[in-house]
Amino acid sequence: MKANEQPVAEQASAEDRPQPQPRNTFECRNLSVELRSSGGLACICRSIDFEVREGEFVSIMGRSGSGKTTLLRILGGLLSPTPGSTVRYYSEQVDGPPRGVITVFQNYAASLLPWRTVEKNVALGLEGKVSKDEKAERVAEALAMVSLSKRAKDYPWRLSGGMQQRVQLARALAMRPSVLLLDEPFGALDAMTKTTLQDELLHVYEQTGATVVFVTHDVDEALYLSDRVLILQGDPSTIGESVAVQCSRPRDQIETKQSEGFLTLRRKVYEAIMQGHD
Amino acid sequence: MTSRMRRLRWINWPGLLTMGLLAGAWEAAVRWSLLDYQYLPAPAAIAQGARTLLTSGELIPNVLHTLLVTLIGWSLASAIGIALGLLLGLSPTAYRYSMTSFEVTKAIPPITFVPATLLIFGFSLRMELVIVVYVGVWPVLINTIGGVRGVPVELLDVARMLRMSRYHRVRKLIVPAAIPEIIVGLRLTLSLCLVLAVVAEMVGNPAGLGHALVLAQQALQPEKMFAYVLSAGVLGITLNAVFRSAAAWMLPSPTSGRGGGSP
Ligand SMILES: Nc1ncnc2c1ncn2[C@@H]1O[C@H](COP(=O)(O)OP(=O)(O)OP(=O)(O)O)[C@@H](O)[C@H]1O
Ligand SMILES: [Mg+2]
Repeated sequence: MKANEQPVAEQASAEDRPQPQPRNTFECRNLSVELRSSGGLACICRSIDFEVREGEFVSIMGRSGSGKTTLLRILGGLLSPTPGSTVRYYSEQVDGPPRGVITVFQNYAASLLPWRTVEKNVALGLEGKVSKDEKAERVAEALAMVSLSKRAKDYPWRLSGGMQQRVQLARALAMRPSVLLLDEPFGALDAMTKTTLQDELLHVYEQTGATVVFVTHDVDEALYLSDRVLILQGDPSTIGESVAVQCSRPRDQIETKQSEGFLTLRRKVYEAIMQGHD
Repeated sequence: MTSRMRRLRWINWPGLLTMGLLAGAWEAAVRWSLLDYQYLPAPAAIAQGARTLLTSGELIPNVLHTLLVTLIGWSLASAIGIALGLLLGLSPTAYRYSMTSFEVTKAIPPITFVPATLLIFGFSLRMELVIVVYVGVWPVLINTIGGVRGVPVELLDVARMLRMSRYHRVRKLIVPAAIPEIIVGLRLTLSLCLVLAVVAEMVGNPAGLGHALVLAQQALQPEKMFAYVLSAGVLGITLNAVFRSAAAWMLPSPTSGRGGGSP
């Protein structure tokens, strides 16, 4: 309960953040998850330890079914880990979605309200919380960011999969979150749109100083965006590798991806993923 | 012009043709004495009976009475069904406490209550309405509970993630998500209300189509009797069609005609 009352982290830009040593936004200790499956309880992940620092951009990778979505649901307060696990949002134990933490779900078609138009879907989280004018302004701004202003009055089921995913992203951005949990947000997009939205996301990230946890299957995407890439391995999964990405920001689609450091890391991540396969 | 064309295409011509052929076969069978019953008139005779009823002014008041009772009963049943359904769907406690009683009551064929209702309320309009409402409540109630309890978990997660208040969650998410199923319940109830209004008029309240039908039977006027049967059918089809187009107009959805999806 207390975690929900945690004040929204100041959205200061990277330079004037007060502490030189950033606090931990999330801290997971001895985190295990068991979910019901056909053969009784299945252990999805066991004794995971990691933290996400305030303002950090962390990607989570791992093969399908390794528990990336599950992990994100735990951080978002939508799922409880087994007793004995510790999940903290700042200093409070997470036991419900904390304020300012916004998730973009993997299952985009099921996460939009089919009876609401695109703009009303984006406005959903703002209703009753901000004034009408501010709501309209934020919705328009968020839709512009994902290049969907023209489809504002359409119903989501009249949009393509990638467009629906962008509506969900707009809904998240309109909330001006201090933490974004993104579950394969660009999975359904073509290379061009993907590139544009990656840069848009980095722009938002750098502007707001938000903390981002990002799930993806795309190694280049993970490295391009992140400060750190966590790779889940094994069954039940643990964090097999944590790769720090020291490429300087702001990043550039061509420059960064061609740099020596990037290519070395790319190799390292691929090796870690291949290892996870056998 | 295009809308007219579309309407023409929308009409099920092969279906109408089948119906015409069946009526023709009936007509022929009666004329050639293949179907030889004293009180089974041919379609042409029934049409003649309907014309007589129309010109004598007997038909319209009877149809209006039945229509009015159906609509009033349906509105009451819908209001009660939706309100109770929301309560039971949203409150696990209310659900737990009342479900046994509901299952038992639901299992009793509603028509068996007709004699009891007649005994309690006498031959009256009230008796007719009570029957119509009682029977009509069930489909709305059951579908409302089902709709509310069946809201997809993904949407409930969205509501939690956005930290929507309980009130907003119900008003902006659960109720709208349940509406398609509630509408199905409303439609089922509408047809049921008409059926039960006619039944109640046949055995209880001396008014409307049901009563007129029985009178025609007792007066040994089969053409009139079948003309009333036909009118009840036309009334049912009309109510259903009006309801469907109203629902489709109010709620564009992936499954309704305006969704533009392929078949
Ligand atoms: N609601 C649930 N109930 C029970 N088990 C679940 C549930 N959701 C997921 N699981 C199980 O948890 C494991 C991890 O699933 P999860 O969705 O976290 O994988 P993922 O890494 O996100 O995979 P993908 O890359 O395919 O999205 C799977 O074995 C899955 O069967
Ligand atoms: Mg997943």
